[in-house]
Amino acid sequence: MTKSPEIVIEVKDLCKTYFMSGGASQVVLKHLSFKIYSGEFVAIMGHSGSGKSTLMNILGCLDRPTTGGYFLAEEPVAQATDAELADIRGSKIGFVFQNFNLMMKRTIADNVSLPLIYQGVSDHERRERAIEMLKRVGLEGYENRLPTQISGGMQQRVAIARALINNPKIIFADEPTGNLDTRTSDEIMNLFADLNKQGITIVLVTHEEDVADYAKRLIKITDGQVEYDGPRKDYHP
Amino acid sequence: MIYQILKEAWISISAYKMRTFLTMLGIVIGVAAVVLMVAAGQTVQNEITKTFDSMGTNLIILGPAEVVSGGVRGGRGRPSITFDDVESLRNLKDVEAVSYIVATAVQAVYGSNNYGVNVRGTTPDFLKVNNWEIETGVPFTEKDVKTGKPYVLIGQTVIDELFGLQNPLGKVLRLKGQPFTVIGTLKAKGDNLMGQDEDNVILTPATAVRQRLRGSYRPNYTDVAFVKVTEENKMEMVAKRIEYQLRARHHIKEGADNDFSINLMTEMVEKVRSIGLILSILLSAIASISLVVGSIGIMNMMLVSVTERTREIGTRKALGAPNRWIMTQFLAESLIISFMGSFVGLILGVVLSQIAGVIYDKDVPISILSVIISASVAVLVGVISGIMPARKAMKLDPIEALRYQ
Repeated sequence: MTKSPEIVIEVKDLCKTYFMSGGASQVVLKHLSFKIYSGEFVAIMGHSGSGKSTLMNILGCLDRPTTGGYFLAEEPVAQATDAELADIRGSKIGFVFQNFNLMMKRTIADNVSLPLIYQGVSDHERRERAIEMLKRVGLEGYENRLPTQISGGMQQRVAIARALINNPKIIFADEPTGNLDTRTSDEIMNLFADLNKQGITIVLVTHEEDVADYAKRLIKITDGQVEYDGPRKDYHP
Repeated sequence: MIYQILKEAWISISAYKMRTFLTMLGIVIGVAAVVLMVAAGQTVQNEITKTFDSMGTNLIILGPAEVVSGGVRGGRGRPSITFDDVESLRNLKDVEAVSYIVATAVQAVYGSNNYGVNVRGTTPDFLKVNNWEIETGVPFTEKDVKTGKPYVLIGQTVIDELFGLQNPLGKVLRLKGQPFTVIGTLKAKGDNLMGQDEDNVILTPATAVRQRLRGSYRPNYTDVAFVKVTEENKMEMVAKRIEYQLRARHHIKEGADNDFSINLMTEMVEKVRSIGLILSILLSAIASISLVVGSIGIMNMMLVSVTERTREIGTRKALGAPNRWIMTQFLAESLIISFMGSFVGLILGVVLSQIAGVIYDKDVPISILSVIISASVAVLVGVISGIMPARKAMKLDPIEALRYQ
């Protein structure tokens, strides 16, 4: 009997309400519950205003749910302090952003190894691991260049290398191809698919159907609720 | 961790070299100005001390009473202290020496040279009382004073102007046509506080001035008299004794005003010193305005920097930077700027003050005070101007910051 895969994310009855000044409130996420297992490649889709960004922020430990439970690698994080959340982001999560968010005046190696600074890793080890990660995303030998000297697709690879460097439990990619042309988008998505094959858990937020096609599982959010949760190939809107 | 924060801070500020340099310049100028002003103040204080030391501080100065008419202070009244009055003070307790002068300014002539000099008719004790030293030759004696011998001791300026490279000893110069023999020369004293040349002086027996230079008006009266006291803490007591003695000798009734004035050198020193101190505090205060402006410059730059780097801050936070780290990094950036600015300002201030010292031919001290001031400026300015921007960076919500365009 094979061991059941590790649960990376578990969301239980999660709600998020924004309270506006003047007493008004807006319920953005309504009683969400799902699990994401190690090695999965999940696409979260939804129209703008559906609550998918809010969900992403909570899953990425940038925000907290109003009620409900959230367990990351079986640890409860729903009530964690700011400092604890920062530590979780630095040690268990990798982020890939739509606009790359690289520091333009720093070398590619510095950019890739940035998360390790906050983990107290030495300069030497940071650089070695950065070079190793760059190799993994196909940017061997680029460590001393500046982000301004390479293309957008390469910049996103740098960002992916940065997301990988702390050996995260999960990578969150928020519209990672939003700023790229179709051909480069395909390259980046193929890189994600490759990384997923190597066992890396990926959660992808997108509104593009063909980008979501690279994922195996789809969670569709509509009006703050899960409209669909199942294999990508079985979803036909 | 501190090393990493400092390194990140250093890389961040060196990414904007021009902006950092210009911001730093504000602090450089501010610190240099304060250091210069402190040096100027201390130089003035030192000069004051030097001048008073050269005159001797255990000194009581007696002169005519001040003329007060209708509550308004006028000039000096007519001379009221006689040679005998002064000599009678010699025997008072705790008096080390007494002397007096009758002063006049005349043209001194030697050969074809002539020069306007200050002539002080005095007694041998004048040298002791006013800390003059004989360089060559001998001083005149009490006997010379009694007999009104036309002997003179001459200052360095007089030597230069009248004798040039000749040895003046034994030569005869003329004052108002009267012959005076040079029996000694005085060591140089330099300029006094008012910038007057102390070496443009001729000392001669008081009686000689009376008999040969000043005519017969109140012939036995002094212009100024000096009493040297044995110890500084006995000054007040001796002043009281002098007052008592002189009132008795002048037959002044009880309740009537003195017809003479008594000034304690120690009090005058205190007065001038406190003026000097106020002056240097004032100068430094004015100079420190530029420091305030400089630190506003840092704060402004840091606030702009935080706004500009909002996305970077959001990214750093998303990648695991604790709030404390972000705040410390921004604080470190302003501290680095203020430390470097203060250091360069200190060096600049010291160098400029030394250059000024060479130009004005004064000893300008390099004081530990300047170092203390610039170090505390570095810390204070760095923290005060950095704390607000750093807190702003710390408080940024990573979600908002990442969305910032």
